[in-house]
Amino acid sequence: MVSTAPGAVRRSNRRLAARREGRPLWMLAPGGVLMVVVIVVPLIIALIISLLDLDQYTLRSWLQAPFIGLKNYVEAVGGSQLMPSVGISVSFAVIVAVVSLPIGAAAALATQNAFRGRAIVRSCFLIPYVLPAFVVGTVWRTIFLRGGVVDQAFGLFGAHPGLWLNGPQSYWSLILVQLWTSWPFAYLLVLAGLQAVENEVHEASALDGAGWWHKLWYVIFPYLRGPAALAVVITFLHNFNAFTLPYVLFGVPAPDAVDVLPLLTYVTSFQSFRFGLSAAIAVCSLIIVAIPLFAYLRAVRLDVGEKREVRA
Amino acid sequence: MSRRYRQSDVMRLMPGPLVVVIVVVLLIVVLLPVLYMLLSSVNSDTAVAAGGFWPRSLHFDNYLKVWSTVNLAGGIGNSVLVCAATAVVSSVLAIATAFVLVRFSFFGRIGILRALLALQSIPGTLILLPVFVLFSTIGQTLGVAIVGTRWGLFLTYLTFALPFSTWVMVTYLRGLPVELEEAARIDGASSWRVLVRIVVPLSWPGIVVAAIFAFLLGWNDVLFSSALTNPGTRTAAVVLQAFAASQEGGAIPTYGQMMAASLICAVPVVVLYLVFQRYLVGGLTAGGVK
Repeated sequence: MVSTAPGAVRRSNRRLAARREGRPLWMLAPGGVLMVVVIVVPLIIALIISLLDLDQYTLRSWLQAPFIGLKNYVEAVGGSQLMPSVGISVSFAVIVAVVSLPIGAAAALATQNAFRGRAIVRSCFLIPYVLPAFVVGTVWRTIFLRGGVVDQAFGLFGAHPGLWLNGPQSYWSLILVQLWTSWPFAYLLVLAGLQAVENEVHEASALDGAGWWHKLWYVIFPYLRGPAALAVVITFLHNFNAFTLPYVLFGVPAPDAVDVLPLLTYVTSFQSFRFGLSAAIAVCSLIIVAIPLFAYLRAVRLDVGEKREVRA
Repeated sequence: MSRRYRQSDVMRLMPGPLVVVIVVVLLIVVLLPVLYMLLSSVNSDTAVAAGGFWPRSLHFDNYLKVWSTVNLAGGIGNSVLVCAATAVVSSVLAIATAFVLVRFSFFGRIGILRALLALQSIPGTLILLPVFVLFSTIGQTLGVAIVGTRWGLFLTYLTFALPFSTWVMVTYLRGLPVELEEAARIDGASSWRVLVRIVVPLSWPGIVVAAIFAFLLGWNDVLFSSALTNPGTRTAAVVLQAFAASQEGGAIPTYGQMMAASLICAVPVVVLYLVFQRYLVGGLTAGGVK
C-alpha cells in the first residue's frame, strides 16, 4: 500500500539496486540541513524552553531566562487546563477517526462497482477533504451562526438547539465538522485496499453462493484490515494535531469544550506569553502523539526490499 | 443452482438499492455545505447573516467588493509567491534526497526513512514557538529581519514540505525500473548525470505530485503564517481567517463577501486536485498526510 507509486511500471522480479560504491551522499545535505535547522533544532529548543521560566520580558535573551527544572510540567499537569485539554483532544480525535472508517468504507464499497456517473461521484467525495481547512472552518462558522442557516432549519420544526460555537455543544460541532472533512481519507485507503482483492476471490465466493453481506464480512473485510487500521491511526494523528479547523471555527481563546491541545499551546504562547509553560504543554502532546505514531511506524514497511509484493 | 453469472455480478459487492442509498446520502452530506458556500457567495450580506439559504437576489458584486473590503489580493500574491517557491525548491531537494535513499545503501538509511514519516506527525504548535525564537535570534545576530518576511515563511514551509515530498518521491522512484540507470552507469555516467538525465525526465508525474503537495501545505497553513508574518506579508489563509474573526466585532457583517473570499481561496486547490486527481490520490495514500 505504502509503496504504491502512481502510474509506475511494476516488476515482480525487480532487484533493489542498492549500490555501495560512488554514493552521492552529498545530495542528502541540502534537505538534511534544512530539516535539522527548522525541525530538529527547534525540537531541542522546545525541550530547553520547557525547562525555563520564559515570558515576554525574558524572550529577547531567552538563553538567560531562569532555569526552573520541571516546574512548568508540574504546573501544566497540576493546573486546571492541560488535563481537560488532553481529554478533549484524545476523545475528539478518537471519535472522528473511528466514525470516519465505516463512512469511508461504505463510500468505497458503494463506488467499487462501475455505474454511470461514478467518476463524478468519486470526485465529489474528495471535495470535503481537499478544501483547505481554513475554508472549511470559515464556511461552517457561517453555517453555525446564531440565527444562521442551521438554526433556521431547526426552526422549521420548532426546535431551538442553542449555540453551536459556544458552550458544551461546541464539542459536537467540532466533531461534526472534522468528520465532514476527514472521512474521505478512510474512503481513499479502503478503496486502495479493495484493489488488492483478486478476481479469483470474487469468483470463488460467487461459486460458493455467498450472499453479499457474507461475502463482505467473511471474504472482503479481512483484506481491508490493514488499510482500515492505517486509516484510523493516520486520521487520529491528523486530527489530534489539527490546529487550523478549531482555530478558524471557534477563534482564540476557544470555548472550554473545544480547548484542544494545539489551541491551548497556541494561546499559552501567543496570548498569555507563558512560553515555558506552553512548551511544556507541547512536549506533553508530543508524548501522546508518540504512542500511535510508534504503532504506525511499526506497521509501515519502510524498505521495499523486505516487502513481498501482492500482485493483482 | 447452475445459474450463470456475468462478470459484473461476480464482482458486485452490494445490492444496487443499497449503493444508491449510500451514494445519495453521502452526496447530500458532502454537497449541501458546498452548495451553501456557492449560494451565499452571491447572496446579500444581511441575508446570509439571517440564515438565508437560497438567495432572493443575486449579488455577483460580492466578488468585486471583497477585494477592497480586505487585502485579499495581497494575501493571494504572498501565498502564490511563497508557495510556488516552496513547491519548486522542495521538489528539487526531494528528488535528490529520494534518489540517494532509494538507489544507494548506506548506514542510517532506514533511520532516515523512518524519520521522514515521523517528522510529518510532529505537532506544528510544538515547533512554532522555537522557530519563532530561532528566527528572531538569528535575525538579531546577523542584523537581518527573518520573522515577518516571506523568506522566513518560505524556509518554514520548505522544511515542513520536505519530509512528505521526499516520501512521495521515494515511493515513486521505487516503481521506476533501474535498468536505464544501470545502462547509463555502464556508459560511465556519474550519479549526478544519472539523476539529471535519466531519473528526473522519468519522474515528472512524481515531481508534479510532490510539488503540488508542497504548494498546498503552504496554501493551507494558518498556524505559521499567523505568527511569522506581518500585515504586509500575510498569506491568503490568514487574511481570510482575520476577515472571518472580524465579523463578530459589531461592525456591519459582510458574510456574502466572506463566502466569496472563501471560494476564491478554495478554487485553486480544488482545480489542482481535479486536474491531477489520478496522480494525487496515489500520493495521498502514500504518505497519509493531507
